[in-house]
Amino acid sequence: MKGYALRPFLKYVSRKFIFLLVTYFIAITIVFILPRAIPGNPLSTLLRQIFQQGQANPELIRSVHKTLMEEFGLGKPWYEQYIDFITRAFKGDLGTSISSYPKKTLDLIAPVMPWTLILLIPSIITAWIIGNTLGAIAGFKRGSFTDKFTLNFSLIVSQIPYYWLGMLLIFTLSVKLHIFPGQGGYSQGTIPAFTLKFILDMLYHYILPFLSIVISALGGWAIGTRVLVIYELDADYVNFGELLGLKEKTVFSYIFRNSILPQVTGLALSLGGALGGALITEIIFNYPGTGYLLFRALSTLDYPLIQGIFIILIGSVYLANFLVDFVYALIDPRIRLGQSEGS
Amino acid sequence: MGNLVLQVENARAYYIVENNYVRAIDDVSISIREGEVVGIVGESGSGKTTLSNVMLVNIKKPLSLIDGKVKLYLNGSIIELNKLPREELQRNIWGKETSIIPQSAMNALMPTKRIKDSILDVMKTHFDEIHENEIIDKAQTRFEEIGVSKDAIFRYPFELSGGMRQRAVIAVATLLNPRFLIADEPTSALDVSTQKMVLKTIQNLREKGIVKSIAFITHDIATVRQIAETLVVMYAGKIVEISSIEEIIREPLHPYTKGLLFSVVTPEPEVKERGIYHIPGTPPNLMYPPPGCRFHPRCEYKLDICEREEPQLKVVNNRKVACFLY
Amino acid sequence: MWLAMFRPLFKSKKFLVSILVFIFIVLLGLVGPIVYPVDPTGYAGPFERPPSREFPLGTDTYGGDLLAKVLNGTRTSLYIGFLTAVISMSIGIIIGPISAIKGGIVDEVLMSFTNIVLTIPNILLAILIATYLKVRSAEVIALLLGVLGWPWFARAVRSQLLSLINREYVKLSRMAGYSDLRLAFEDLIPGIATYAFMSFILFINGGILGEAGLSLIGLGPTKGVSLGLVLQWAVLMEAVRRGIWWWFVPPGVIIVALTSSLLMITTAMDEVFNPRLREK
Ligand SMILES: Nc1ncnc2c1ncn2[C@@H]1O[C@H](COP(=O)(O)OP(=O)(O)O)[C@@H](O)[C@H]1O
Ligand code: SF4
Ligand SMILES: [Mg+2]
Repeated sequence: MKGYALRPFLKYVSRKFIFLLVTYFIAITIVFILPRAIPGNPLSTLLRQIFQQGQANPELIRSVHKTLMEEFGLGKPWYEQYIDFITRAFKGDLGTSISSYPKKTLDLIAPVMPWTLILLIPSIITAWIIGNTLGAIAGFKRGSFTDKFTLNFSLIVSQIPYYWLGMLLIFTLSVKLHIFPGQGGYSQGTIPAFTLKFILDMLYHYILPFLSIVISALGGWAIGTRVLVIYELDADYVNFGELLGLKEKTVFSYIFRNSILPQVTGLALSLGGALGGALITEIIFNYPGTGYLLFRALSTLDYPLIQGIFIILIGSVYLANFLVDFVYALIDPRIRLGQSEGS
Repeated sequence: MGNLVLQVENARAYYIVENNYVRAIDDVSISIREGEVVGIVGESGSGKTTLSNVMLVNIKKPLSLIDGKVKLYLNGSIIELNKLPREELQRNIWGKETSIIPQSAMNALMPTKRIKDSILDVMKTHFDEIHENEIIDKAQTRFEEIGVSKDAIFRYPFELSGGMRQRAVIAVATLLNPRFLIADEPTSALDVSTQKMVLKTIQNLREKGIVKSIAFITHDIATVRQIAETLVVMYAGKIVEISSIEEIIREPLHPYTKGLLFSVVTPEPEVKERGIYHIPGTPPNLMYPPPGCRFHPRCEYKLDICEREEPQLKVVNNRKVACFLY
Repeated sequence: MWLAMFRPLFKSKKFLVSILVFIFIVLLGLVGPIVYPVDPTGYAGPFERPPSREFPLGTDTYGGDLLAKVLNGTRTSLYIGFLTAVISMSIGIIIGPISAIKGGIVDEVLMSFTNIVLTIPNILLAILIATYLKVRSAEVIALLLGVLGWPWFARAVRSQLLSLINREYVKLSRMAGYSDLRLAFEDLIPGIATYAFMSFILFINGGILGEAGLSLIGLGPTKGVSLGLVLQWAVLMEAVRRGIWWWFVPPGVIIVALTSSLLMITTAMDEVFNPRLREK
């Protein structure tokens, strides 16, 4: 009995997993192809630049050159390069940084990644919860003042890019009012450590970037859930429930539950966009996360580092995407037990 | 004849859309007596579902009860349902005194809760204190009485087959033994053998005394004949004829009833399906119903007066019909 | 028929207000640079001056006239948004219907492709591709954003068409009349057309916001001015923390006003054309 009931769930989850794995593979392939396909091959340009900057330590230049040639396998046929690339990507060997030679790119990414995760995960979940609740209330009270206000507020707020809201918050709350610090992940001069003092300092720096993501992300959720709720309002089970005497509160809880479920998959799909916005927010706040590292890599044209960051970021998005879908499959009985063909 | 259970008097219920009225129920009166199964037939769009909402006083936007009364006879007293606030109806009337098997019963149960949890939610609105086990026991008994396995109560609606789900809805709708039950096209979406079972289930409800009276809504006279004694024929938001079902089949009075009947008695199912179109023309848009008799643009027997004046229901040989021919 | 269809729109206050805001900004972008013919890339005068009569929006670190930059930037951003929308829409309007009408294996292949593009985080991919492009004109930026933005539209068009096709089939089998085919067709075209129009507007928003995002990360157009580039320089020159609000506030206000007015236009249309969302 148990095993039987588990089957639809496993089917759903493994299908998702395979799809994401294939998509990730394609994404890595794109990362591989791009520098080789684009006219005026940026890698050879980069190599030439390195040679032309002859004033630097020639020993170093030669060594950088050698590493690059090896890692990009520029002398070999393309399929060997490709197989090489994929194997190393799956082994977690993302190459050597140029700007911070001879550091491995993974070693540069690993320390900044937690900052991005700490910023991104709580803020998008908070935005998701607040936005969906607001939208559900608005939809349930369709046409009321609350509804109109929430809708128009959400419409505008959803169009404020994270980073611009970040700028406004820095300008007002930091520069003008001196309430919060306007940059960084912690006070300058302190060294990250697991002390209460540091954690409080970190939280203090956390508030503004957190708020800018939460506020500008919640609008979209509110708008979406409001529409879902409005559609549910006319659902047959709502009508029947009311005619059996269900209280408004209970009916709302039914509608809320059924409207929120599709928004869980919505969350999975929105992760990539949210990450993109967060990267830029980090740049605005000089926040010591991946966005900031990417920005530095871009300005020094450190291609191996850029590639490494993308492989990690896209991988993280897919992993998170899968986790969210996994949770969704757990909480929606129609997926967990499999929708019967009875209807 | 039994005592009155529910009575609708001169009801007008309009949908308000874009500064206009859809006159879905226009001056309709109907009485339901104890022990009676009343069939209500009419084409799709004739106002049957709206009438069921009027009988329950489930009036919410855009529907508005412009005029009329809905009376519930309860232990010798009369309650004017249309005067009660919605919360009061929900707590004391709906599900308890009156109930419904809704038109789209297939999706009528909360899809993401186990049926038992939906049932518990319903009980919580009617009683301040509930004993979960007791309720589940009772519900399981009712499920078995109605022919659904008692384990179904622990399942999600989508886990049941169509016919089972339909009967689970019937069981949930009648848990509190409501005196009056409306069944709104309960068989329309089902295949023939399931139809038979569901019909039997509804018949049993009355025979076992679970419900006292039933209003059985359908667009198909052949179905209603198997279960109802009295037939109410609706056309374009009005009742055009009320009579015992056998008399109507023997001799329909209203020209619309004649058309309706003619189309149904024809044997082939395809023709039966399309039979309703044997009456020339189409039903009127209820935003702009024709003046006089609403049926006159399609009526073969039309008189001059029919275009000017509205025929009222009047008694003809113990039957009621709204037509100037009588 | 079209006039009658759109008439109720002009009764919607939300629609009127947002279309006025939108037209105002379009005029800023189109007519502004002509009325205020200052070179947006030149050095107009003193550095970092707050707004004054001479420089209505002040100047930046290099003495550039910010009003000129914002006006020309609005023009570029609108251009990029529009072009992005044209590109995304063209791809979606080809893939969606082919998928719906052909069905079978074609449908499956096209939809897998669509889903893959949909799940690849397109901002990240845009950043990655832009990295390798030495020269990025406004058109290149639009192409990049447009090529990555279409999947949700293709999917929606496909499912709308499918439901219309099915509905038509039901109608046909039930009534067996020819006039129903025409009816379904008359249903189909306006249904898809208003939806496509609304999607076009959302694509414009995607283009405008995408350009700003790319620019801020340092991958915007390499030539000319855009709203994103104005913001990028404001960030690079620490305008925010140095309190030079006239540098970063106006371009942001224009972006938000532009995209939210466009979004409001679509919701107003939705409320008018989609009866279920109409308030009761
Ligand atoms: N929510 C509504 N808004 C406007 N008109 C409605 C609504 N619901 C039903 N109507 C109209 O009211 C009339 C009666 O509908 P209904 O009671 O559902 O008929 P039936 O159940 O007999 O098919 C129809 O003309 C229908 O178009
Ligand atoms: S009243 Fe006149 S039009 Fe109406 S049904 Fe009777 S004869 Fe026909
Ligand atoms: Mg009905």
